[in-house]
Amino acid sequence: MRVEQLDDLATELTEMIQTEITFGQPVEPDTDLLLTGLVDSLGVIRIVTWMEDHLEIEIDPVDVVLENFQTVALMVDYARRR
Amino acid sequence: MLPVIPGRLHLLSHLVPGAAERDPTGLALVGTDERLDHGTLATRVGQLAAALRSVGVTSGDRVVIFAPKSSQTFVAMHAALHAGGIAVPVDPRAPAPVLESLARELVPRAIIVAATTAGRWPDPSVPTIGESIDQTTSHLTWTDVDGFEASGPANRLGSDPAYIISTSGSTGRPKSIVHTHTSALRYAELAAGCYGLRPDDRMANVAPFHFDQSTFELYAAPLVGAATVLVPDVLLRFPASVSELLERERVSTWYSVPTILRQLHQRGALEQRDLRALRWVLFGGEIFPPTELRALMASIPEARFSNVYGPAEINQCMYFHLDGPPTGEQSIPIGTAWQDTELRIVGHDGAMVPQEGRGELLVRTATAMAGYWNRPELDERVFVSEPADGGLVRRWYRTGDVVERHADGLITFVGRVDRQVKIRGVRVELEAVEAALDAVDGVTASAAICVDDPEAPLVGIVETSTISDVSVVHRAIREILPPGAVPDRVVLVDSLPVTTSGKVDTVSAAQLLEVGVRT
Repeated sequence: MRVEQLDDLATELTEMIQTEITFGQPVEPDTDLLLTGLVDSLGVIRIVTWMEDHLEIEIDPVDVVLENFQTVALMVDYARRR
Repeated sequence: MLPVIPGRLHLLSHLVPGAAERDPTGLALVGTDERLDHGTLATRVGQLAAALRSVGVTSGDRVVIFAPKSSQTFVAMHAALHAGGIAVPVDPRAPAPVLESLARELVPRAIIVAATTAGRWPDPSVPTIGESIDQTTSHLTWTDVDGFEASGPANRLGSDPAYIISTSGSTGRPKSIVHTHTSALRYAELAAGCYGLRPDDRMANVAPFHFDQSTFELYAAPLVGAATVLVPDVLLRFPASVSELLERERVSTWYSVPTILRQLHQRGALEQRDLRALRWVLFGGEIFPPTELRALMASIPEARFSNVYGPAEINQCMYFHLDGPPTGEQSIPIGTAWQDTELRIVGHDGAMVPQEGRGELLVRTATAMAGYWNRPELDERVFVSEPADGGLVRRWYRTGDVVERHADGLITFVGRVDRQVKIRGVRVELEAVEAALDAVDGVTASAAICVDDPEAPLVGIVETSTISDVSVVHRAIREILPPGAVPDRVVLVDSLPVTTSGKVDTVSAAQLLEVGVRT
């Protein structure tokens, strides 16, 4: 995974979530996507799949936990640690 | 206040005080941020009941619990009964039209709110308890509630209403199912017997309180003095977190819809968890494909598995204990009736099917609802009165489910007599989905169809000449439909096929899609 990929990740991830999952509802890096109900379990699967394809990584199901996917910022942090 | 006599329970509100009397220091509830023993739980229930009375709740008043699942809402489900009222759990994600309809029909006396729901109830004059964003109306905080002295359970009759669960009706107007202390208590007793529940059980509560499966933990757990481990709604989106919770809390029973169990198997990292404490897995609400059930059972080999059947109107009343993983591809039986329950299968001609054969399932049972709230015309449709000796009347509930009884006496689910479908275990009336689609500006006709795709089972086909962006439709219907009834996929078409009577032909419309259609 290249560094510039990560720099754009937050923007691209937000864009994908806004178009495909929240249908236009705005999402900020710190928006709680889960407590607000913006993202359901299928939404989580789509985000995971998108990140795997986009970053060419494999995400272990054990890593798919609330702590890593509550906000866009946390997802980017997780990707950075990978 | 009347004393609670052990072994002579007649009210649902006796369960929590009873457990506290027998084992005050035993574990009762595991929430996300606190653990309560039976004694503390009973005190908290008594305090909230006193707070509810202070805002005016008296016998028969509705208390809406409008907040995500937590130890507070678990307490509130019992406190409402304790105060003499009727508990009404409402989906915190319910859209405005549903809330307006519930507010109008149920006219609650008090509402339990969370930060995420405060201010969303359509009638701001109703007193609220919980987290709030403004103090303009009569409001008590959780700290205020802690200052109340715990009161005992109000005197009610077993035949009085205890809780109301709403499901979406075919017109979009919710159907509110009224259960009594007796129907719920009998359910708890029969469930405790059927699954051998014990004081040392730790029961995972997976279903939200507005979904009737949750009565298993809400009432059967305190009945036997077992502990309930709450699985918050948010956690369910992360199967690996759920399995971690099961291991950490040594959960021993689980009851959910197959959808959640399939996710747990696919993404729950079960092979890395020690789930030896899990002794019984119950599933119900929809069909569990045998192939996937087999795979799940292989990953939790120590547990027993049971298929559970029973519409919310009559509670669970049938069960099938699997002897082992299913061998073939035939569907898992819904089994046989438990005690205090009688089944009848009625064929197309209205005649009873005495042995093997197909027909609509009718049930009469001690766990049946009293009726729908404020809907005598619906009661008349679902209850069949059968004259009995001595001028008495037996009341049967028509399930609307078509079933088949086999030579071995076991019953399997075949389909529906109407257009109700189950989406991830939640009842959805396809007519209500179509009504919502039709209401979107620019939509001239629509068809809601259930397809054979576990990831996206509910599809809305929309006829429009003006809409080109499908997200316009998605956004609009999210404002109208309950979350479980929102189509996973919306397809735009120029024109929909119609039948000779001019109605949308949903069967032909389904052929516009490339996937198989569920019937």
